[in-house]
Amino acid sequence: MLAATKVDVAVFGASAVIVLAGAIGVVISANPVHAALSLVMTLFGVAVLFVAQEAHFLAAVQVIVYAGAIVVLFLFVIMLLGVDRRENVAREELRGQRPIAFLLGIATIAEFVLLTRGTSWVTGAESVVGPASGPGANVETLARSLFTRYLLAFEITSVLLVIAVVGAVVLARRPPPERPEEPEPLAVPERLHTPQLDDAAPVPATEVPAP
Amino acid sequence: MYLNQFLLLAAFLFSVGVYGVLARKNGVLVLMSIELILNAVNINLVAFGAFHDTVAGQVFALFVIAVAAAEVGVGLAIVLLIYRNRHSIDLSEVDLMKG
Amino acid sequence: MSAFLRGYLSVLVFGFAAVAMVGAMLGAGRLLRPSRPQPQKYIAYESGVDPVGTGWSQSQVRYYIFALLFVMFDVEAVFIFPWAIRLEALGIFGLVEMLIFIVILALGLVYAWRKGVLRWV
Repeated sequence: MLAATKVDVAVFGASAVIVLAGAIGVVISANPVHAALSLVMTLFGVAVLFVAQEAHFLAAVQVIVYAGAIVVLFLFVIMLLGVDRRENVAREELRGQRPIAFLLGIATIAEFVLLTRGTSWVTGAESVVGPASGPGANVETLARSLFTRYLLAFEITSVLLVIAVVGAVVLARRPPPERPEEPEPLAVPERLHTPQLDDAAPVPATEVPAP
Repeated sequence: MYLNQFLLLAAFLFSVGVYGVLARKNGVLVLMSIELILNAVNINLVAFGAFHDTVAGQVFALFVIAVAAAEVGVGLAIVLLIYRNRHSIDLSEVDLMKG
Repeated sequence: MSAFLRGYLSVLVFGFAAVAMVGAMLGAGRLLRPSRPQPQKYIAYESGVDPVGTGWSQSQVRYYIFALLFVMFDVEAVFIFPWAIRLEALGIFGLVEMLIFIVILALGLVYAWRKGVLRWV
């Protein structure tokens, strides 16, 4: 654990700028594709922050899962729904929705500043961050913790993922009855007509002898 | 590296995400803003893990990423369903439960 | 900490080299080529044929399930990496726990398969 060097501060500053610029891009851009690319920028910035804290594996996961898979899913749905479906950013549905959202955002930051005011809050001089459990052994220590102490959480993650797959399949699947009938449109009217004729014939026949 | 740097950055990121969730009306972009919030949480988890010299923060961040994947999968499926039923993903038009 | 970041300096150098190379090539092209803008040059290139319609065509919902399954198994792979590193130390216990994990995840795949969403009609 060393105090911050100039390189550390420079890396932190650069990635902080990247993260915040990307985040602001996500919330203000009108084109959803631009928002998705800004999200990628934020995710890369966060990955750099992870590297700066020697969480190499997590940084790799951040790039592989977040930037590689989740953003692709987002882009996919954007392409599915229409890329030129621009949102009118200026229109407000609830009166004052945007200023209130802005005030709430400011309030969150103010809360944090108030919480840390007691210490030297800009630098936090007494809280020095160091690499967890020595350099180099990152993935091994992570695995030792993950597969012993957090074993139950790990197994339950698989249940969560299965539930997500099942839920998405149920939600995104087209209703099957209308699909298979589609290729032969002539068959449907025929089958609709024949039962009517069949029903019309036997109904009087059975009803006449009954009374 | 000081802990408060990371906490302050995460607070900013979280606030931007909260703003996005409240102000955006496109369902996909609301989900993206939720991703920003989850990333702010991840920054905090890793920073506190490094502060306490334990790997637990990273393990939890890993779980958060897995949960985010599941959440995005189901959330986007819901957005697709809304689009299929209403031909719009404007969340302010989804008002069937309005009293 | 700084010594550690120095290890990542090569990544930074590679990044700068990549950006510089792209910039140099595009810049050289801009300097050398003649500039005669015509509206036809801004049409999307479709093997010499005039493009029909806009650049965007709606893709099918069916692709979404595949993308989602990819994400799920991507997350699974993320958990397998640290497991593979610790496999010798964990022994048979580690094998069993990962087997449970994979079997539970495979249930999702089986469900999607049984529902017929994996069939390519």
